[in-house]
Amino acid sequence: MKLVINIASTARVLLCAAAVALAAAPAAAQKPFADVGKQPPITIVTPSAPWYPAFEKAVDLYEKQTGNSVKLDVVPFVGILEKARNAVRSGQSPYDLLMLNSPWTVEFYEGGFLSPLKEIDPAFDVPKEVFRYGDSGYWNAQKRWRTADGGKLMAYTPLGNVQLLHYRADVFKQAGVAPPATWKDVLAACTKLGQPPGTYGFVARGEKGNGIRYDWHSVLMAEGGNVVKNAEAGDFTVVINSPQAKAAVDLYIDLLKRCGPPNYGSLGQGDVIQLLSTGKAVMGDVVIAAFASFDDPAKSTVVGKLDTVPLPRGSGGASGAAIGNWNTVVPKNLPDAQKKAALAFSRWFLTYEAQRAFAEAGGIPNRSDVYTSDLAKQPRFRWFPAYLETQKFAEQDLGFAEGAQVDQVLGLRLNQALIGEMSSGKALNLAAKEMEEMFRKNGRKTGALPPLPE
Amino acid sequence: MSPSSLVNRTFRHWSLLPAVLLFVALTLYPLVNLVRMSVSTIAFADGAETWRFTPGANFAQLAGDDVLWSAIANTVLFVVASVTVEMIIGLALAIAVAGIVRGKTWIRTVLILPILVPPVAIGSMWKLMYNYDFGIFNQTLAALGAAPVNWLGSTSLALTSVIVVDIWHWVPFVFLILFAAVEGLPVDLLEAARVDGATRWQVVWRIMIPLLRPAIVVAFLFRTILAFKVFDEVYLLTSGGPGTSTELINLHLYKVFFEQNQLGYGALLSLAVIAAIVSFLLVARRAATAVRAQ
Repeated sequence: MKLVINIASTARVLLCAAAVALAAAPAAAQKPFADVGKQPPITIVTPSAPWYPAFEKAVDLYEKQTGNSVKLDVVPFVGILEKARNAVRSGQSPYDLLMLNSPWTVEFYEGGFLSPLKEIDPAFDVPKEVFRYGDSGYWNAQKRWRTADGGKLMAYTPLGNVQLLHYRADVFKQAGVAPPATWKDVLAACTKLGQPPGTYGFVARGEKGNGIRYDWHSVLMAEGGNVVKNAEAGDFTVVINSPQAKAAVDLYIDLLKRCGPPNYGSLGQGDVIQLLSTGKAVMGDVVIAAFASFDDPAKSTVVGKLDTVPLPRGSGGASGAAIGNWNTVVPKNLPDAQKKAALAFSRWFLTYEAQRAFAEAGGIPNRSDVYTSDLAKQPRFRWFPAYLETQKFAEQDLGFAEGAQVDQVLGLRLNQALIGEMSSGKALNLAAKEMEEMFRKNGRKTGALPPLPE
Repeated sequence: MSPSSLVNRTFRHWSLLPAVLLFVALTLYPLVNLVRMSVSTIAFADGAETWRFTPGANFAQLAGDDVLWSAIANTVLFVVASVTVEMIIGLALAIAVAGIVRGKTWIRTVLILPILVPPVAIGSMWKLMYNYDFGIFNQTLAALGAAPVNWLGSTSLALTSVIVVDIWHWVPFVFLILFAAVEGLPVDLLEAARVDGATRWQVVWRIMIPLLRPAIVVAFLFRTILAFKVFDEVYLLTSGGPGTSTELINLHLYKVFFEQNQLGYGALLSLAVIAAIVSFLLVARRAATAVRAQ
């Protein structure tokens, strides 16, 4: 009897232990999204961005499924470029994967610091469902341009940020106003719906530097303007001081001055997000990566009230949106085993299942099939249609080596025009002159348009 | 002279050699490299650096850099305004606190708290306080029935707002140096002056301040050098805007070197800043010598 009881007790204990083990490791038992095999540990440097928690969860899932180890070095935006530079210029990179903001990629591609992904593994490819994001992951060294046409695959996009127009759907519905389709609609709506100083009609970045330059660039595209004539063809004739560009500047100044708070000249991304999430702004031009915070009760007073549409069209009917994606790259100064391990993670991360899990954790997925899946029916993903629509016309901006300098020049002159230090014509003429000198110094084929009236 | 005698006499020089070599390695070598960079254009290709000797292009860029000249003007204004106010307030606090009998230690501890706060926290904290819609300053003004102020977005106010933060941050530093000096003043001298009928103001102006001159010069020099190098406050509060109203020389240098990746021109700017600070120190030293001679 005692022996039977002992056997039965032991069996019960073993059964319980097995049940606990099964319950505690569902992911371990789950088939991995991609068969990547056993890999050495890798380290990824990643920005401390609103989407980082979602990426962290995706990495946790990868570790649980595959048993491979990934360490994340989370760095504020301002520090990540220097970390990436130091990594690739050192003897051996401490990181196996770097995340580069799109404007930074040209420096690294041209510098020869990265390993083309297919040279690490010829079988590696970015799935066709992944958005192209203006081919920012390709580099044609002869043309010195990011294009898949003759270009090598250098990177893929882990997060494709674009600007969308965020608006208070409840306010618009109550007022019987349709969501804006053009920038003129935005002006009309902001005048009708904004009640300063309680609520502002429309907010966007006006701060000096990349803030104003980036947000304004979408308006420039919508108005049919450009920075240089045809960078891909090697024609760096400066066209920033065109009538279309001036129209874009005047429109942007009008929007910010008439619709926004009095401190429009110093509004940064944090301010724009804060104004929207506290209900102080009816509309805002902001990156989609911020959307999850608008629906977070701990961070927002307008949960469920904001919706999105693609950025409005210009006066000629054209759409414009500048892509602000991150690009994951593999440093050249790594042992082959580490490069292969980095690609193994990348292969897993680019699967439909991983991107779906990334989206569910609050990230911005990079595959079109996630956007057309059943997730689109959930209210928290109500931004999917606007994002999908934007992918049809969004473009990369400043995809050349002088991009960072052009960004600084335009960021200053646009801000000076906005705060009234100079006219829009003078600001653009000055910017054009500085850019022409810059391109000439770098041996580019360049020229200039006649100056605008000041 | 015997060999051992020679060794004894020259030992003090040889013993300095390790320190000298370290100094050369950590100071002179980077400086020489900086000079080399300042006359070059540095690019990267195939993972390696390429240097081109282009002094003319770099100096031409320096001459044509509008933002640089605005940055120099703003920096001089920033240094003069912030250091002057910090010295006055720091000295006043040092004298006032030294005269307190009870609670001196506690008051001194509270007064030095701002210099213990990390610069990033200071920038973030003041940026929130200056926030147009939600900041405590404008909330207070609204409660008093006044209109909100565009602290960081107005070209006429932004630099002043940054200077206020700098004063808040660094007055404790000046206070600490001068407080220690005040505490070290001979008490019998001050008492003798009082007995002779000197007013409090006369004691401060005619006795204490002349005796504090060495400490005042030290505090002034330290603060001036640090003020020329200010970066974190202005970067966090305004990033040099609006326009160029708060563009300071170190911020401009950071943007050229790190954001635009212009290593050669950035090196030239660094040398220009070093030259400016050294020139200022030489002028200040001559002025101090002239005042002492008088």
